Order: sequence, then structure tokens, then C-alpha cells
Amino acid sequence: MLTIGKLATLAGISADALRYYEREGLIEPAGKSAAGYRLYDKDSARRVQFIKHAQHCGFTLAEIRELIVLRGRDAACCGDVRKRAIEKKLQLENKIRAMKAMSKGLDRLISECADETKPVEECTILAALEQLAVRGH
Amino acid sequence: MKVELFYSPGCHECAAAQASLKAAAQEANARVEWHELNVLDELDYAVELGVLTLPAIAIDGKLVFLSLPTPQQLRKVLIERKARGT
Repeated sequence: MLTIGKLATLAGISADALRYYEREGLIEPAGKSAAGYRLYDKDSARRVQFIKHAQHCGFTLAEIRELIVLRGRDAACCGDVRKRAIEKKLQLENKIRAMKAMSKGLDRLISECADETKPVEECTILAALEQLAVRGH
Repeated sequence: MKVELFYSPGCHECAAAQASLKAAAQEANARVEWHELNVLDELDYAVELGVLTLPAIAIDGKLVFLSLPTPQQLRKVLIERKARGT
């Protein structure tokens, strides 16, 4: 059995993060020591790795909880998990597209600012941003 | 009028509903073009339309249903659009 500190070190995350996972219903200690400290088993350690990997793929904690529930559901199949992975990919691609548009907007502002030595009150980037703000209202 | 259903392969919910939705669409508009798109093959197009959840339905290049409608809901929307001439 592992204490919260040992599990945190093993998983490479903080003890606070583990307590947060527990509050969110993602992990559960296997028991408590005589002194009342949380104790975790190997399943908990595997669960924490699962959470970390899923986070690296962009899943939120709420979505990870859904994946965990799916895993325990007899009627669920791989297709249910795959659908969630595809939806996550769609969300990520959507964000990438939005960020590329932002980056292109910055490219325009940067290229329009030809003279770096101008005083800041003549800065074309700030002027363009002000115009965008006016147009936005 | 073009109806596009985006689905993920292996989605039982999509497979079960496709035939009845297609029949409802053709009943609402005999000239409807019905397309079933595997989202993995049409990812860029799906992202362009704003598809974030599956299955989803676009009509004439615009995302209309973010989840599967009933055949009645699809039929109603198509009849309304046909009446508006859109």
C-alpha cells in the first residue's frame, strides 16, 4: 500500500492533485492507516497514470470520469470510447483552426508595422487594435 | 437540397438511425441529396462546419443538428426549408 506522498512521487504529480482527483470522484483510496492517512493500492497508481495519459490527449477531468464510467459498464464497447476520442480530436482541430486564424491576424499586424523606431503613439499595431476594438462595438 | 450526416465508424446509434432518417428526408423532399460522411475521412470539412459532437447533420453546408434528430424533427426542418425556398 502507498501513502499519498509516495503515490504522488510515483506518479509525478502533487499530493494536492491527488486529493483533487479524489474530490472529483476519479480515484478512491483503498483504505486508511491506523493513524487515519489515505492508503492507495496498485489499482490507484494505474488509475492515476490513466488520468495523466488522458489529460495529455486533451481530455478534461469530467470527460475522463466519463471514460472511467464507460470502462466499468458491461454494455459499453470500444466504439463508445472511440467516438469520444474522435469528438475530442474534432474539438482540438477546431481550436487549432481558431489559433491559426489568430496567428495570421498577428502576421498582418507585424508586417504592417514597418518602422520600429517610431514613437509608441504612432505604433501601427496599437492603432490597428484600437480600430478593431471600435469596429467590434 | 443536400443533407450530410457525419458519423464515426462503429457508432451503433448512427447505424441504427441512418435508414429511418434517410427515408424521412426523402419523404420531405424527393430531390434531397443524402450523404453519409465518415468524419475521419472528412475531418477538415467537419471542422470547417463546426462539428464537435457525433453524429451531426448539416443541411446545405450548414450545421443544423448537433445530435441525431428523430425522423420527425428532420422531416419538419426539411419541409420548412423547402417552403422557404432555402
